[in-house]
Amino acid sequence: MTEVSPGGPSPPGSFSVAVGQSVRTLPWWRTPTARRYLFGYTLLAPAVLYVGLLVGLPFVFSLYLAMSDASVSSPVARFVGIDNFMSALENATFYTALRNTVVFTVGAGILKGLLGTSLAFLLLQPFKGRKVVRALIVIPFTLPIAVSVLGWKWMFDSQFSVINWALSRLGLIGSYGSPDWPVWLGQPGLALLSVMFVNVWRGFPFSAIVLLAGLTSVPPEVLDAAKVDGASFMQRFRKVIVPMIAPILFVGSAFDTVFTLSDLSIVYLLTNGGPDGATEILPTLAYNTGIRGGALGRGAAISLFLFPLLLPAIILLLRTLRRRQY
Amino acid sequence: MASVAVVPRTARARTIRRHVFIYLGLMPFLVIAVFPIFWMAITAIKQDADLYLVDAVPFWFRQAPTWKNFDFLFHNTSYGDWIVNTMAISFWVSVITILTAVPAGYALARLRLPGAENLGIGIFMTYLVPAIILFIPLARVVSMLNLQDSWWALVVVYPTFTIPFCTWLLMGFFKTVPFEIEEAAMVDGCGQLGALLRVVLPVSWPGLITAIIFSFTLSMQDFLYSLAFVSISEEKPVPLGVATELIRGDIYFWGSLMAGALLVGVPVAIVYNLFLDKFISGITGAAIK
Repeated sequence: MTEVSPGGPSPPGSFSVAVGQSVRTLPWWRTPTARRYLFGYTLLAPAVLYVGLLVGLPFVFSLYLAMSDASVSSPVARFVGIDNFMSALENATFYTALRNTVVFTVGAGILKGLLGTSLAFLLLQPFKGRKVVRALIVIPFTLPIAVSVLGWKWMFDSQFSVINWALSRLGLIGSYGSPDWPVWLGQPGLALLSVMFVNVWRGFPFSAIVLLAGLTSVPPEVLDAAKVDGASFMQRFRKVIVPMIAPILFVGSAFDTVFTLSDLSIVYLLTNGGPDGATEILPTLAYNTGIRGGALGRGAAISLFLFPLLLPAIILLLRTLRRRQY
Repeated sequence: MASVAVVPRTARARTIRRHVFIYLGLMPFLVIAVFPIFWMAITAIKQDADLYLVDAVPFWFRQAPTWKNFDFLFHNTSYGDWIVNTMAISFWVSVITILTAVPAGYALARLRLPGAENLGIGIFMTYLVPAIILFIPLARVVSMLNLQDSWWALVVVYPTFTIPFCTWLLMGFFKTVPFEIEEAAMVDGCGQLGALLRVVLPVSWPGLITAIIFSFTLSMQDFLYSLAFVSISEEKPVPLGVATELIRGDIYFWGSLMAGALLVGVPVAIVYNLFLDKFISGITGAAIK
């Protein structure tokens, strides 16, 4: 397209000769293609450098840190091999954190999937006020996470919890001070449930909206065609809708897994791992060890244990993204 | 044709019944999604004593609503600083993001570079490397740059997630701009850069605005980086400041906590809400066509 000569139409013969000559005489780095490549890679360079320097290098650096005894106080680090990983594996808290991380991610993930699917099918129906309902329902996802978690902390207050007030008025629990008065963030089992619940509260609108986008992308003609061919609702659901929305469901849950696994603010702000390690997850353990405790190396090692948990989600996303058609 | 008269009524009845079912099904979701916000809002404008009246119904006011929690924020804490910091951080993050992601997105979408597809995916994948793995090495980077305890640390760090996301978003966007307008510009004597600056960018402003919006909202969603890198009160962004400075020991300033959280949270939520579909199609662009 850059070959168009500005001089207007010229006889066909001379035109082809001119092009032939220019290609022969131009050095390769001055050909239009090479110049386009140069231009393109120059435009790409700032983004690639930024991401490379501040994501790629730090990632490699975290591998190095994890194998050193680096701390906040001493800038000079000594290579200690896999000591940090070993000491994490010898620590009982680490296993609690690992178990809680898996329970938290899987449990909350299943709940978000179920709630999100039912909500998506409800929102798929045409009804009056759909836009308003949708806008209200996605609020939990759009509110900055630290902001909404503070609201939950107040709602889970040990004495003035509005949840307990309602339960008490309904006669489901006794009054404050009675043995069945739940202290949401103070009792080990309840605390884990509470932090999971807040994660589900924040995430279910995301699952629903992602799924809704997938469902509305199923062209109605396809469903009509299946109906005409005599497919029952269940058959249409299993053979047409599920295969068409499966990729998007995977992408949605993979993103959600990444968000959930790497999020520490819910647990940090609600319980900071307590009571007695009952809600400790790998992110809070890594933060408390690496930043608060100043043991950068041990903290980096703990956070790297998240990587194998993240890998399936990342591989899944990579495969879906590669299938993208241009 | 006796049924003719009946049909509208039964159709109407069916519509009404359908609506009732749908609203009943949606009701629990709506209550769960919205109640916490209502509860935060009403807490923010209640008097302190009103918060702790356990015998009365807590969902409304027993004492007159008050603005004193907001007063407290602005007079007894650094809330004003936090807002300025948050805006300044988001502004500079947007500037960095636009200056890097726009050219990158354009190059990946338009210039038929070898390996563009893989490079695009590669950049986007860095969005998935979570902060929790990067924050410890980045703590070292921040102290090397001598930015610890300054909000500038966050200006350096936040583009690590806004650049990948916005590059991906803009790449999709630039693909929808017709090639003809660039070709026309080049025929008219523009170079490749001239065509980008004078012709493509002016028609791409919806994409640019979306990218700026996401630089803002994604910056305000962060908690971990600010928690790890900023500990001086005056340098904190709003979410961190509210979460750390309004809890003193065992004393929670609930009214001011909720006021401070919502004052910034609600505008972010509204803007994010308007652009949510763009966010969803940005990250799932691969799967939905």
